[in-house]
Amino acid sequence: MNEINILDGLPNTILSVATAVFPLAFLFIIFQILMLKLPLRAFVTILKGTVLTSVGLLLFLQGVHIAFLPFGRAIGEALGTLSGRWQLMPLGFLLGFLTTWGEPSVRILANQVEEASSGSIRRSTVLYAVCVGVAFFVGLGMLRIVYDIPLLYILIPGYTIVILMLWFSDKEFISIAVDAGGVATGPMANTFLLALALGISSSMGGQPPIIQGLGLVALIALAPIISVMALGCIIQFKKDRKE
Amino acid sequence: MAQLFKEKFLEVIKSITPLVIVVCVLQFTVVDAPTPLFVQFLIGSLMAIVGLMIFFLGIDIGILPMGKFIGAELPKRESLMLIGGLAFSLGFATTIAEPDVLVLSRQVDAISQGSISGNVVLFAMALGVGLFVAVSMLRIVFGFSMVYLLTAVYAVVLILSFFTPAEFVPLAYDAGSVTTGALTAPVVISLALGLSSVLSGRSSISDGFGLLGFASVGPIIAIMILGILGY
Repeated sequence: MNEINILDGLPNTILSVATAVFPLAFLFIIFQILMLKLPLRAFVTILKGTVLTSVGLLLFLQGVHIAFLPFGRAIGEALGTLSGRWQLMPLGFLLGFLTTWGEPSVRILANQVEEASSGSIRRSTVLYAVCVGVAFFVGLGMLRIVYDIPLLYILIPGYTIVILMLWFSDKEFISIAVDAGGVATGPMANTFLLALALGISSSMGGQPPIIQGLGLVALIALAPIISVMALGCIIQFKKDRKE
Repeated sequence: MAQLFKEKFLEVIKSITPLVIVVCVLQFTVVDAPTPLFVQFLIGSLMAIVGLMIFFLGIDIGILPMGKFIGAELPKRESLMLIGGLAFSLGFATTIAEPDVLVLSRQVDAISQGSISGNVVLFAMALGVGLFVAVSMLRIVFGFSMVYLLTAVYAVVLILSFFTPAEFVPLAYDAGSVTTGALTAPVVISLALGLSSVLSGRSSISDGFGLLGFASVGPIIAIMILGILGY
């Protein structure tokens, strides 16, 4: 690619924002008429907020698409040719951490947890737990691409650990952990980290890149469930000791 | 409003810039991509930062209150049908609309060499999400423990993993991430928080959260079952 293309894939971005917003706005208006009957001012404010959300989302997704998709791939291709392949692990760790750090839904979840717990669970606790978890698993994912480790060798022990931890964890952290698994695979991870994995595996040959890329997403979804629930187990353990 | 804007501005700067800086460092040390591509990266990053600020602002004044109002209104009608039905249709509709799901369903179509059609996959995933959202909304109403529910569904996923044809396994696990469009998370989280806030004796944390993550297991199971049946 030799020229700057800001509008690349714009119709797709518009379509995905529209399909996300319209059903929601429609549902809200129906609810407002039939059941909610909020005062007009509140209703209008919410609609304004919805418009802002759509505009912001459009700009954000398009920016991510033109910035992090091609560049993730370029970084991946460059890293795949590095002679010392062990370097991929710390780099995967770092990029995994920072991508999740920038993931919008992770922040929304962390904010809502702090608000709902009236501050007893701090947003930074959730944020760090999720980011560290994803960082480890992206590092592991790099190792998997380099050494061609089958995905199930990681996923099966991973989900087994999750099932075991469920029985020892603080209840509140179980719910947060499961949601954290859902939010970590947001638009940043799905473009940047996915493109990174595709770039690395395409420059190294081996398995079809698409399989490698999908595998990484599966690991990113599992990572925060384990890390946040591990935190829940520690908190539960401390509570038990106090009693 | 000005205070809120300043807060969001700082949050977005803190969240995106570290990654942008590291990417710049990599560009000058190992990557050395063509200049136009790097300039495009910088422009795109700026767009993402501005966009995210507006997005967060809109989420705070529009989407979160909307979700909480609707969630809090639901139990007042004392109709399980309404809650389950709404949850199901919300999960079903957002999945059908999600562009990632379309891409994924085409991949299943291709891997199965057309024996499992893309439309069937799309429908199965939407059904998976819809059912799981409905189950976890009703869980909040009945106050059923998350531990049993999660143990059961993760056990099902693990067992199915051994029987699912190998090509489908990464696809199936990836399908779990379809419930995570940028807008789905705030909507679902606020809806569940709103619902649990008006029911007495519910913890706002352990009952208010978990819905989104639980819903993501639905499509994993759906694709695995399709993979097993399709061969």
